Amino acid sequence: MRYLASLIAASLLLAGITHAEEHEGRRLAMPAKVNAAWKTECGSCHMAYPPGLLPGRSWNALMNNLSHHFGSNASLDKGTEAEIRQFLLYASSDRDTRPAKAAPGERIVTRITDTARFADWHEEVRADVFRRQSVGSAANCMACHRGAEQGNFDEHQVRIPR
Amino acid sequence: MSRLFLLLLAASLAPLAQAASSPAELLQGYAAEARQAAPGFSGFSAERGKELYYRRNTKDGKAISCASCHSDDPRRSGMTPSFRKIGPMASAVNPERFRDPAKVEKWFRRNCDDVLSRACTPLEKGDFLTFLTTLR
Ligand code: HEC
Ligand code: HEC
Ligand code: HEC
Repeated sequence: MRYLASLIAASLLLAGITHAEEHEGRRLAMPAKVNAAWKTECGSCHMAYPPGLLPGRSWNALMNNLSHHFGSNASLDKGTEAEIRQFLLYASSDRDTRPAKAAPGERIVTRITDTARFADWHEEVRADVFRRQSVGSAANCMACHRGAEQGNFDEHQVRIPR
Repeated sequence: MSRLFLLLLAASLAPLAQAASSPAELLQGYAAEARQAAPGFSGFSAERGKELYYRRNTKDGKAISCASCHSDDPRRSGMTPSFRKIGPMASAVNPERFRDPAKVEKWFRRNCDDVLSRACTPLEKGDFLTFLTTLR
């Protein structure tokens, strides 16, 4: 019965994603149906970073190590962890759902702010702007992109605080 | 189809039914655990809970305490180092506090590990809740 319920939940999730709005330009696609556990659990310590910001491989690596999450204990019970992992993988930038396995010596990037895409997007933003008191750090997307949690990073709506 | 719907509904409501609880019930649970751990247990103390709330530790070279995220005044909102606002911890101003045992346990597990590098004892949990539910 539990199994059936999760099977149904999974197919609903998939259906939501195929119907996801693909925004124009570099606005990120967000699944039409956002997973509630992801929204509360991954949005309690910082903004809930939209799944399209990282490839599946990165989300997998991050989900494998939640009790040592960037210096914080962000551990979850097994059920919630599996549910969130599935949501992140299916809505990731490359929809890669295979288990992450680092090659010998390889370090899988788990910070959005360490990705090449992030550097490209912010080529014109000076490093000291990210360190402003009003911004805090580059990871605080919402300081400049008000709609960040909805996946809206439209460059015409960016406002950098002083 | 409607059967399926009911099934889904039941499955989604089940966790909600478990969640509802009051801080007093939680405290009863911690008291039972504390008694089991130490037969001399003689009740929780808001004073000790307060001491725990402000106790400072060093982590990665920086000072950290419960107050560093939950604010120096538990009747006010706090903020995580990663920029998320946290509602006040004192029940007097935030009646939503300490109502879901799974949520409370999850955060004790994480935050005690982050601040004290160990789990909190049932006595500490009860003291902490006593401090925050009696503060006016
Ligand atoms: C207990 C608090 C906590 C919870 C819960 C939490 N995180 Fe984090 N997260 C952090 C901290 C602290 C950082 C590091 C902030 C910094 O150094 O800038 C972080 C950083 C991140 C980053 C990297 C941001 C960057 O720098 O690009 C990602 C991605 C992330 N978290 C995803 C998640 C996901 C997914 C979840 C849910 C499974 C989650 N977090 C839950 C505390 C948390
Ligand atoms: C200090 C303010 C600031 C912060 C913080 C910030 N950004 Fe940006 N971001 C900008 C600016 C300014 C641009 C537009 C750059 C340009 O016009 O070339 C931009 C552009 C982007 C774009 C491209 C938008 C487009 O329409 O091409 C994306 C995507 C993006 N940011 C994502 C993020 C994410 C994700 C984070 C957090 C992990 C973040 N940003 C944090 C200021 C910021
Ligand atoms: C790094 C930031 C941080 C620190 C330090 C911290 N907390 Fe928390 N705590 C949070 C966040 C975020 C939440 C969840 C947000 C919310 O409930 O509004 C939370 C929630 C809680 C809850 C759940 C409250 C409820 O209503 O169920 C308890 C209990 C708790 N913390 C105890 C502690 C204790 C005890 C300490 C010190 C040993 C501590 N916290 C230190 C960030 C922190």
